[in-house]
Amino acid sequence: MSGIASPVEHQVIPARPGRRDSRRSAALRLARRRESLLIVMTVAVFSITTALEPSFDTSGNINFMLESAMPLAVLAVGQTMVCLVRGIDVSVAPILGIAAVSTGFLAQDDGSSYVLMLPLALAIGAGLGVVNGLFVTYARIPPIITTLGTLSIYAGIELSLVGSSAVQTLPASYSTLNTGTLLPDISYLLVIGVVVTILAALFLWRTTLGRALYAVGNNVEAAFRAGIRVNAVLVSAYALTGLIAGLAGLVYLVYYRGAEGGSGITENLNLLSIAAVLIGGTTLTGGKGGVVGPFLAAIFITVADEAVLVAGVNPDWQPAGVGLLLLLAIMLDRNQSGRRSLREVLLARHPKLPLAPPNEATP
Amino acid sequence: MAGANGLSLCGRAMTPVVKRPRSMRSRRPESHDASARGAARYEARQISKSFGGAVALSDVSVTFAPGEIHTLCGENGAGKSTLLKVMAGIHQPDAGEILLGGEPLGALTPRSAQLRGIYLVPQEPTLMATLSAFENLFVGILPRGRLPFSVDWKEMERSAGAFFAQVGLDIDPHTPASTLSIAQQQLLECARALVHRCNIIFFDEPTSPLTAREADVLFALMRQLRERDFTLGFISHRLDEVLEISDRITVLRDSRLVTEMTAAEASRGSIVSAMVGHDIAVRQRRHRDLSSAETVLEVEALSAPGRFSEVSFVARRGEVLGLAGLVGSGRTEIAEAIFGLAPASGAVTLAGRPLAHRTPASLIDSGLIYLPEDRGRNGVFAEVDLERNITAAIIPRLPRRGPLLRPGAEYEIAEQASQRTRIVARSLSSSIKSLSGGNQQRAMFSRWLLADPKVAIFDEPTRGVDVGAKDDIYKIIDGISDTGVAVVMISSELEELVFLCDRVLAIYEGRIVTEVAGDDITLQRLGTLIVGEPGR
Repeated sequence: MSGIASPVEHQVIPARPGRRDSRRSAALRLARRRESLLIVMTVAVFSITTALEPSFDTSGNINFMLESAMPLAVLAVGQTMVCLVRGIDVSVAPILGIAAVSTGFLAQDDGSSYVLMLPLALAIGAGLGVVNGLFVTYARIPPIITTLGTLSIYAGIELSLVGSSAVQTLPASYSTLNTGTLLPDISYLLVIGVVVTILAALFLWRTTLGRALYAVGNNVEAAFRAGIRVNAVLVSAYALTGLIAGLAGLVYLVYYRGAEGGSGITENLNLLSIAAVLIGGTTLTGGKGGVVGPFLAAIFITVADEAVLVAGVNPDWQPAGVGLLLLLAIMLDRNQSGRRSLREVLLARHPKLPLAPPNEATP
Repeated sequence: MAGANGLSLCGRAMTPVVKRPRSMRSRRPESHDASARGAARYEARQISKSFGGAVALSDVSVTFAPGEIHTLCGENGAGKSTLLKVMAGIHQPDAGEILLGGEPLGALTPRSAQLRGIYLVPQEPTLMATLSAFENLFVGILPRGRLPFSVDWKEMERSAGAFFAQVGLDIDPHTPASTLSIAQQQLLECARALVHRCNIIFFDEPTSPLTAREADVLFALMRQLRERDFTLGFISHRLDEVLEISDRITVLRDSRLVTEMTAAEASRGSIVSAMVGHDIAVRQRRHRDLSSAETVLEVEALSAPGRFSEVSFVARRGEVLGLAGLVGSGRTEIAEAIFGLAPASGAVTLAGRPLAHRTPASLIDSGLIYLPEDRGRNGVFAEVDLERNITAAIIPRLPRRGPLLRPGAEYEIAEQASQRTRIVARSLSSSIKSLSGGNQQRAMFSRWLLADPKVAIFDEPTRGVDVGAKDDIYKIIDGISDTGVAVVMISSELEELVFLCDRVLAIYEGRIVTEVAGDDITLQRLGTLIVGEPGR
């Protein structure tokens, strides 16, 4: 026993942080967040482009860019919901399209106001989302495959709704929503996008269902054992993604002042919404991230896109640029946590509940 | 020893069965036959290693000698695993050097370590589940066939059996790895070390998932390897087996080396006090008469074909009821069936109310909770902070204003719960991954105690936690049973059952064989009951 070093008292450090320590680490955490990085990058791209081409920096152009980002930004907020539960939804573009054309036709033909059309758009989106959720949860088909299937089905529905016509003329109230501003230089569309994002963030952080999404995305089995109704949570996540995609459809209708057969799909909104989620720091591996990052990432993608155009690059290169950003963002995430591979995530099936006992389930 | 039973254990006789593939020869210019040569001294000198800000090893020097089983002891987070991983090339040390036979090795990778004869049998076997046993054995050094880029399958199949025999593994080489038990997977890892001609083998806590019998098989193999002059390193939390098998024991505490002793010098007491830095009181079992206490949990004729049958018992208010049995005896399966995780026939009644359609959600509401044995897989939310891990089972009960949760109130709830189980963490917003096993388990206890249970089922509550946390967990269990909670405790550590439980049910092959109560609960009695002997 002579070799034993002097005994140290068994210390219990309280779980309460020192106040100064917590304030400094909070500031540090804020600086390290993806959201901060996105704001810095957006401002940087904007400043550099303005230096090259001074006309880039006009309030009209800033407003235009922010507005044009909104359909994608709202859609990305919706996409986040399923990504948090380790899912993915590649049918959001036609959901947006169906909501846009069906409300658009009613507005065009009957002059229905957007106040009436809002619940319709939400209901269409939520309904189509629930279909996705039921397939993923109860038929246990991997999310990517389920939504690839419904992508085709929904796109077909969208085309058949439109036929050979298109939504081209909307009542005046819709244009007011498009061109009007709440305060000088703050357009209604931007306000809508920000409000949706704030509501979604509150939902995720301060409601029981939001909390359950993170738990399920993190560890399905532990969530089930902790008394979380996993199946209901999963269906809700897909329903919410659909619901917000429906809302994005209305935003799309207002922004483009019309809609047609390929709305949503022709703009490549499926890929872009997933790109915005990933660039926004929400992982496809589930349980991590939020909606603010994807919202800012959608704006960043749009600004970068405009900047590239101003710089005189051929617009054909735009998808390549988005792809590059996507790969960079995923590399950033992998450095932070490389627990599950993307392949594992994409092909993962929702497990059957109640879960098999471990001695059977373990390989 | 060698060749005693017709099966030569001498490496020279066995290993030439595998033709060294050409590629291997070119990679190993010396082309030495490691196992025949006998291992060299393997030495870590003044190793320091930090992860981020956390110091894992500071200035640790240890020498592993041939023909010796050298065991590292210490609480979780003391640095044992890190030291072995540094010596196996998995982690790079920040300072210090590693010497093989007195020669400094320089930077190691797992591959270069293996080429020099150093193999780490990891804590969790890392086999490829869909490949067969023999394919797993030769992964990395597949014997080449005659054609370029081809594999000599016949050769592999032929020689696999010999390697399996060397480690005492009696399986069909074609068995998929996924169907092997954990014990078999570990033996397969050992065989892999032999295939790689390694003679310095480290075992990182191999026995924690094993039953006593399975561990004995592993120990027999380790002793054989010692006879063959292998250099062996070992980590275990079970002091009995440490004392049984070690030749030399090194104790680490808080990333430093505390003491090194030979097996002759070591005793249970000296190891424990070196590990924790102070003496831990010997525990006495409590004497309580709870036979008249009201019944809270009643299990009647619970059966699941192939797992367990006709399981009936009651648990009373304030009682600690033990379920003793080997892994696979059905003890965890019974608990999971009660908690609605697996289907079973029979009836479960909680405080007089029959529970027909059992799901975790409904049971937690009615006051029954289950702490699972596999914390990592079934308990922890790795990407979620400590606070939310603690409140995860009571999300619907958290204080709200309108539809919105009140973060401040939640923080207070989590803080109180964390103090009750004495969690050591920088803050409640710390990542749970950054905590030691003991503190993660304290967090799991915090979570389940917050649900305010009437009946608490704890499955291996002290698995993979350090001595200090164990002691606290015992106090928690004593404490909640005093407040009237009925505790059902499953444990492989019979000692725990002996001093914690008022009654113990012995389970063997899916049936309750006997109930023992009070002072009849002894190590010897439980030890014989769980292996199916009537005892007495």
